[in-house]
Amino acid sequence: MSSRQVDTSGFGAYAGPVLRNEAGAFTFEIADHHLNGADRLHGGMMMTLAAIVLGAVARETAAEKTPGATVRPLSLNCDFVSAGEKGDTVEGRADVTRATRTVLFISGELRVGSRMLMTATGVYAISGAEKA
Amino acid sequence: MRQPLPSPVNVEPPQGWKPSDLHDPFEAYVGPLFEREENGERIFGFIADERHADETGAVHEGMLMTFADAFLGGAAHRGAGERSCVTLSLQASFLTEARAGDFIECRTRIDRTTRAIIFVSGRFSVGDEDVMTATSLWKVLGER
Repeated sequence: MSSRQVDTSGFGAYAGPVLRNEAGAFTFEIADHHLNGADRLHGGMMMTLAAIVLGAVARETAAEKTPGATVRPLSLNCDFVSAGEKGDTVEGRADVTRATRTVLFISGELRVGSRMLMTATGVYAISGAEKA
Repeated sequence: MRQPLPSPVNVEPPQGWKPSDLHDPFEAYVGPLFEREENGERIFGFIADERHADETGAVHEGMLMTFADAFLGGAAHRGAGERSCVTLSLQASFLTEARAGDFIECRTRIDRTTRAIIFVSGRFSVGDEDVMTATSLWKVLGER
């Protein structure tokens, strides 16, 4: 299955790359520079992954509703369920819990195989939607 | 004492600030990060550059949360009597955008300390304007 890079500019690319396959799943390989002092995936990188995954789903949901609409994060909540190790492939997914005209509620998770690393929820404001 | 890790770019600290000693590879990778003391309180900061921004020039929320994890974690560590802590949960509210070129400061507060759990919040500002607030929960390793 072919994959393409998401969030390709700025911090998303600098911290990534994060890939997305044709089935919509996000993947990320943990390298040396993503670690903390205990050789585990850094919490900041884990939240960055959650922000990229939830943000990508929020953006595409807004654009499907209103062509040209963009999103801005209002809140992100991340729970650290277990640790990631160097060499692990992290898989991410996210779903829309509710979409109103102006706000999106997104829920997602990061896993390594069957092991849950993080659960996350985000609230996003849709801009450009008022013209809809 | 371990040597602090170098950051990939050289940035002069603002007047009165010094570089933080970073021992986590990911913090060094996004750094340098800075700190200073003000009336016994430790304040942290970083200068946002193109590495930290998204395609619109706004600082990426992942970078802001990485900065939060680094220094709310530092506050938890000090609150736990220098014992190791791990992040259990972190919630961030994004009040307004920070932009590449902004100097972003972080002030932390210990909200409550129990034997095993530390509650830490943080306020992140650019000049006089708050850009993010965060609340977090930390587990003190080895305590129950």
